[in-house]
Amino acid sequence: MFRSKGSLLALSSLGIAATLLVNATPASAEAKCEPDKVATKYPSIAGKTLKIGQDGESPPYSYRDPKDFKNLLGLDADLARETFACAGIKIEFVTGGWSGLLPAVIAGQTDMMWDTLYYTPKRAEQADFVTYLTAATGALVAKGNPKAIKAMEDVCGKRATAGLGTVEEASFRELSKKCETDGKKEISLVTYPDMPGGTRLIANDRADVMTTDLNMVNSFVKDNPSTFERGFMIVSDYKIAVGYTKGNKDLGQALLDGLTVLKESGKMKEIFEKYNVDYSLARANEILTK
Amino acid sequence: MKTISALLNESRAALPHAILAFLVVTASAAPALAADGPPLKPWQEFLSYIVEPFLLEGALLALQISALAMIGGITLGLGLALMRLSRNAAIRGSAWFYIWFVRGTPQLLQLVFLYDALPPLGIKLDTFTTAVLGFALNEAAFSAEIIRGGIMSVNRNQGIAATSFGMGSFLTLRRIILPQAMRAILPGMSNDVIGMIKGTSIASVIFVNELTFRSQQIVGQNFKFFTVFAAAGVIYLIMTSAISACQALLERRFNIEIDREAGRGSGFTFFNISLFGFGPKPAAPPASVARTPAPATKDNVGAAASLDWIRNITNLTSPEPGNESVPFVVFRNVHKAYGSREVLRGIDLTVNKGEVVVIMGPSGSGKSTLLRLVNHLESLDWGEITVEGKYVGYQRRNNMMRPTRDLAKARADAQIGMVFQHFNLFEHLSAIENVMEAPVQVYGEKPDTARTLALNLLASVGLSQHANKLPHRLSGGQQQRVAIARALAISPRLMLFDEPTSALDPELVGEVLGVMRRLAEAGMTMIVVTHEVRFAQEVADRVVFMDEGLVIEQGTPDEVLGAPKHERTQRFLRMVEREVDPA
Repeated sequence: MFRSKGSLLALSSLGIAATLLVNATPASAEAKCEPDKVATKYPSIAGKTLKIGQDGESPPYSYRDPKDFKNLLGLDADLARETFACAGIKIEFVTGGWSGLLPAVIAGQTDMMWDTLYYTPKRAEQADFVTYLTAATGALVAKGNPKAIKAMEDVCGKRATAGLGTVEEASFRELSKKCETDGKKEISLVTYPDMPGGTRLIANDRADVMTTDLNMVNSFVKDNPSTFERGFMIVSDYKIAVGYTKGNKDLGQALLDGLTVLKESGKMKEIFEKYNVDYSLARANEILTK
Repeated sequence: MKTISALLNESRAALPHAILAFLVVTASAAPALAADGPPLKPWQEFLSYIVEPFLLEGALLALQISALAMIGGITLGLGLALMRLSRNAAIRGSAWFYIWFVRGTPQLLQLVFLYDALPPLGIKLDTFTTAVLGFALNEAAFSAEIIRGGIMSVNRNQGIAATSFGMGSFLTLRRIILPQAMRAILPGMSNDVIGMIKGTSIASVIFVNELTFRSQQIVGQNFKFFTVFAAAGVIYLIMTSAISACQALLERRFNIEIDREAGRGSGFTFFNISLFGFGPKPAAPPASVARTPAPATKDNVGAAASLDWIRNITNLTSPEPGNESVPFVVFRNVHKAYGSREVLRGIDLTVNKGEVVVIMGPSGSGKSTLLRLVNHLESLDWGEITVEGKYVGYQRRNNMMRPTRDLAKARADAQIGMVFQHFNLFEHLSAIENVMEAPVQVYGEKPDTARTLALNLLASVGLSQHANKLPHRLSGGQQQRVAIARALAISPRLMLFDEPTSALDPELVGEVLGVMRRLAEAGMTMIVVTHEVRFAQEVADRVVFMDEGLVIEQGTPDEVLGAPKHERTQRFLRMVEREVDPA
């Protein structure tokens, strides 16, 4: 999907090659919210205002509050606020183009990127990760699903669209070859540069199906029920994680503790439901450093 | 019926008002977006987004970044353009390399590099600084080429004329070259400004939340791409219209085709750029200067407005009239070559005070080069030239002539007036401004004093009616008379004329020669390169004939013109006479 653009890796490579190795620490058995103890629990980040990079244009993860554009809403924005309130650490959201968010973390311009970022071992060479969500792909089609696209195989011979350089684009290209060997027609594929651009291809009948993150597809359908519906969904194996400065153990621990507490207290489920994200996609929190 | 251009002009003038009115109406008509209430119609939504503070803040940010980056970029660009025009290959090369590199790499990567690759080196710039710096560094490369193109579009002779009056290279650039280059520079530069305002959107990758990124965020949340993007488009149009209006104003200002007399009061004159020599002018002078004589003071030469004006000037410059056997300009064994071509091959010549020396000879004989060596417009290869016993911009060290550091000052101190074949009047300055330029800018004369002097000088060459005209409105003969007045304005001790009538129509030659004749009669020391045999015959004290970089013969006009000894002189004179008198 959109979140795994190759160009991001190219941009990231401008940063430093990391050599630090950090061990994966499990969450403490009894994690709890103790904002007053921030100085003893997370001494290196206590008293700081942490900068969190988000793009502010990807509902339901990070988007502008329609009632006040200065405010950020979304699953990622709310989880971040709750997690650091629990740790007793001040935060500040900085918004920028998605592809610039991880390079900024690597360069030390921000402390973390919390914006539907996939963990990959390659990215873990330059940043550390705490997982919290399982990725899933959704297929957006026009209302009434006129081309009856109900599974990936149905896309053969149709007009498909995916973000440029994404895993979805690659999987459509692969599928197209398979369609031909199976004696079906190939896929006619166009790529889009930004998500709203992709949805307009479907709305204007320039493409039959668009694949991207499941929850974004759900969000588009919910907001525009007379234009779109979901053709199908696939749960993938990608881990969605918070990416933070390589080697910042206190920050990793604060993220891990906070997310664990949110899950145990039921607060996380509440936030998922608020943004219509399937709670079964929430996954075990773990620190990944390589 | 109105012409299209008239309509365009009106609409251009009306544009700022129209924008203002539009904004006021929009703001009052637009319902608040965030208020709870009945859903808005698309047009209401569109209007609301135009005045949405969240978007306008983004627009302001784009403007701030563009303004600062443009200032930095143009400043750097001017420096780079001058480096590109340098004679030093290393300086030229490094400017070329910078431009090649910056123009050749994507700006997105430059921004990401500044923002994300410098912190490990200990340089951590914030978002705004990075954007301003990044855009400025990028703009420098582009504007350098635009400015260089502008400078190259200005005739080289403009700079040579300025140099001959002792104007330094920076002064020449500021007063003469850049104002004329502006016409070529402005359209390209406006393109860059508009491009930059819109292009700041790529800086979203380094967390710059400008207009496009903010509108994308709103669309990302509500999918109303049509109304939001249309509103953003209108905001961009308003900003870029302002730039286009500025461009129109500035182009008018720097357009020398428009008579400035007519341009006055057109509504554009509030734009005063005195930096570039377009300062406000006092009211027009009285029609007849002769009727209002000013007292003749030391600073106010020629202001007596009497008929023997030139005598006034020369009286100042030659306190001992009549002492005509004093050597004034002395050439000793002068050599000059361009590459392997030897132009002057050992010239020995003396010009006495108050003497009029006419130099003749076929083209390529080195006459003009010899003149240019006198006021150090060209450098000597060998030998020496003294004016009133002093070198102009040379020091003798270890028996070698070495140019001094401040050549412009040396030329100014020498007070040598020069008149060129192609007049070389400063095209963007009126006749009187041309005459005032060197006294005010080089000699520090007060503008009022210089103006009085200039008016008197223009009156004496018969051009008081044309004082406020730009050169291109004048005939060739009139232009050359302005050029003579301009040369006289620096109270010259020596006048150099480089084929002053060769570019003129035959019927205009007389008026110029008339002025020169009176100057000679007044006792001015003059070296004149010309083919005008009659002028030489009647006015010259001595005629020097040159061929192939050597003085072949010299003597009184009667000797050289009446009974030339050398075969080459005879042949040349036969040719010239045939040209002048084909009958």
